[in-house]
Amino acid sequence: MITINNVSFDYNREKNTLKNINLYIKPGECVLLCGKSGSGKTTVTKLINGLIPHFTENGRLDGTVVAAGMEVAKTELYKLSKKIGSVFQNPKSQFFNIDSDAELAYALENMGTTPEHMRERLKDTVEELQLEQLEHRSIFTMSGGERQMLAFASIYAMNPDIYVLDEPTANLDENAIAIFRHQLEELKRKGKTILIAEHRLYFLTDLIDRAVYMENGELVSIYTRDEFLAFSDEQRIKMGLRTLRADAFHATDFPMLSSANVLTVKDLCCEIKGSCIFDHVSFHVGSGEIVGIKGNNGVGKSRLVRCICGLAKEKKGSISLDGRPMTRRQRNKECFCVMQDVNHQLFCDSVWNECELSAGDYREAEIETVLRAFNLLGYKNVHPMALSGGQKQRLAIACGVLSGNKILVFDEPTSGLDYDHMMAVAGMIRELAEKKHIILIVSHDIEFLNCVCDRTITLTFNELQPKDNGGNRL
Amino acid sequence: MVRKSKYEGATCLDPRAALLLLLLVTVVVFAQQSLYLEFALVTVLVGLFLCCGLFKNGLIFMLGFGFLLVLQYYIFPIAPQIFADFFAILTSYARKVFPCIMVGMLIVKTIPMRYLILAMRKWHFPQKLIIPLSVTLCYFPVIREEIGHIRDAMKLRKVSGAAKAEAILVPLIFSAANTAEELGAAAVTRGIENPAPKTSVIELRFRLRDYICIAVGLIFVLAVFWLKRGAI
Repeated sequence: MITINNVSFDYNREKNTLKNINLYIKPGECVLLCGKSGSGKTTVTKLINGLIPHFTENGRLDGTVVAAGMEVAKTELYKLSKKIGSVFQNPKSQFFNIDSDAELAYALENMGTTPEHMRERLKDTVEELQLEQLEHRSIFTMSGGERQMLAFASIYAMNPDIYVLDEPTANLDENAIAIFRHQLEELKRKGKTILIAEHRLYFLTDLIDRAVYMENGELVSIYTRDEFLAFSDEQRIKMGLRTLRADAFHATDFPMLSSANVLTVKDLCCEIKGSCIFDHVSFHVGSGEIVGIKGNNGVGKSRLVRCICGLAKEKKGSISLDGRPMTRRQRNKECFCVMQDVNHQLFCDSVWNECELSAGDYREAEIETVLRAFNLLGYKNVHPMALSGGQKQRLAIACGVLSGNKILVFDEPTSGLDYDHMMAVAGMIRELAEKKHIILIVSHDIEFLNCVCDRTITLTFNELQPKDNGGNRL
Repeated sequence: MVRKSKYEGATCLDPRAALLLLLLVTVVVFAQQSLYLEFALVTVLVGLFLCCGLFKNGLIFMLGFGFLLVLQYYIFPIAPQIFADFFAILTSYARKVFPCIMVGMLIVKTIPMRYLILAMRKWHFPQKLIIPLSVTLCYFPVIREEIGHIRDAMKLRKVSGAAKAEAILVPLIFSAANTAEELGAAAVTRGIENPAPKTSVIELRFRLRDYICIAVGLIFVLAVFWLKRGAI
C-alpha cells in the first residue's frame, strides 16, 4: 500500500533530515512510527500525505514514495487527498468552518460528492464513530478532545484507504484517548492502512502490527508487535520511549508537609455565566510539595488554576497563603503559570530581556544564575521565538522563578513530549520543589504525574474528591 | 428555538431571499420620505421577526422604533433647543437605517455562515472573495481565544501600561503565522485545491415564504416610486 524506496530528504541544504529510508507497508497494516522528538517521524508522515514535496519549499527529496498506487511526488495533492487522510497534532488549527456539521462535510464538499451520497456518508460516520454529541455544535464551544475527534471524523467521512496520523493524542485526555482507540479498531476492522506517529504508546499496543523505530532521521529497526511488547523497561527507556502499559496512578513517596507557607483553598466555587462549574473545592498544598490535578476534559481544571492564579473570579470560597486570604490582585502577584502553549507568554525580543521583565532591572547576577541553571545562558541574546519548544518552556519557567512567585502552576507541561523531555521537565519541577515552591500541575498524562507528583487531586463534576493517592491531607 | 433554526436544515428564509430583501429594504429606506410607509415597513418586518420565532428581538425593535418616534415627535418639540439640535440628526438617521438594521439582524440570527457562503457561490461570486471572507470569519474567534490567553499571561508577568500593546503583538503574530501554516497543511490534505465544482450537503430552495417576502419587498419599492410620482 505504501512503498518508501530509498528516500533521503532535507528541509534545507545543511543536513539530512531523513537518510535512506526504506519501508514497505502492506494493505490493512497498522504501523507505529516511534522515536525521540526530532528523529524524523513527522517528516515521514509528510512524505506519504504529500506535504513533502508539494507543501514544502526548498526541500530536497531523493528516492520515490508510492502510496495507494500513486507516486506521491508526481501526483497533485487533491488527488492524494482522496485516498490518503491526514490528522494532525493541533486540534485548534484544523478547522475551516464554525459549526461541526459543516466541518464534517467539508472534505466531501471539496471532492464534489453528490449531496445524496454525502448525506448517507455523514450519517454513517456519525453512527460508526458515535459522534451524536458533536452534531449541530459550534466549534468554539468544543474542548480540544472533541475538536480532535471531529477532525478525525471529517477525514473518516472521506473514506480514504490510508490514514496518516501525526501525534493525534498530544492534546487528549484519557477518555478521549479511549474513544480514539475504538475508532482506530474500527478502521482496522475495515482493512484500512494506518501509519501513526506517536509518543504515547500505551493505547496502541493491541492495535499495531509493526513498530518502526527512528533515530536521527534514520530508520533504525522494525519490530513486530510481539518483539516490541517484549521490551524491558530498561531497554525502552534507553530508546527514549514512553510507557507501553496503561499505568494506574501510584504516588511516589511524599515529603512531610511543613506547616509554614501553605496554600489553602477552601470551599471554592466557580461559575461561568451563572452555571456552576465546581463547588466546595477544598485542599491544601504545602511548600515544597508537588500536587497534580487530574480530571477529564471539561470538569474545570483550567478554571480552577485560573482562579487560583487570580485570572478568574471565584463565586464563593477563599484562597489563602499562610492562613492569610488573598485577593485576586494578590494572587496575580504570588502565582506564576507555565501555560500549555508557552508562545503566549513570551513577549520580549531576547531571552535576557524576557528575564529582566520578570526580575526587574538590577538583578543581573541572579538572572545569570537562573539562566545557567536552566541551560539557557548561551542563548541570552536570541529571540525567544527562535528557541525550540523545550527551550521556550524552560525560559517560561525561568521567568516564573525570577519573578519570585511562591506558587507555580504548570498547565499540561508534557503535551507532545517524548520520554527524555518528559523526564527533563519532571527533574526541573522537582528542583523547584526543593527550593520550597508550592507546585500545582494540571495534566492528563498519568505517566508524567506518576514520576513527578507527591499526590494528586481528582476533579470530578461539581466537587473535588480529594482521592487518596498517598495524600497526606491536612 | 433560535439556536435550533440556526443549525437544522430549515432556515427561516433562504439566504438569497434574505439578501435580496436587504437590498429592497435599503432601496425603500433611502428613496422614501413618507412616515406612513416607514411605519408600515417596520411593522411588516416585526411581523417577519415573529414568524421566524425571534420574539424577543422583534419586541426590542418595536419598542426601539416607538421610542425614536416619541423622541422625535413629542419630546424634541418641547425639549430645550440645544438638546433637540444635538440629538435630532442622530435620531432621524437612526430611524432611517432602522429597517436595514432589522434585516441585518435577521440574517445574522437565523442564517448560519455556510448558507450565506453557499448563496454567494450560487450567485457566482468570485472564489477570491468567498474564501478570504469565510476564513476571516472563522479566524476571528480563534484570535479572540488567543488574545484571552496572552492577556492572562501578561497579568502574571506584570506587563503594564504602554508595554502592553507591544507585548500582545509578538505572541499574536507568531501564533497567527503558525496557525496559518498548520491550517494550510490541513486544507490541502482535505482537497481544497480540487478543481471539481464544490458541492454542498445542504440545498438551498426558494419556498413560498421566500417568494412572499420578496413580493412584499417589491410592493414597498413600487409604493415608494408611486408616491414619488404623485409628489411630482
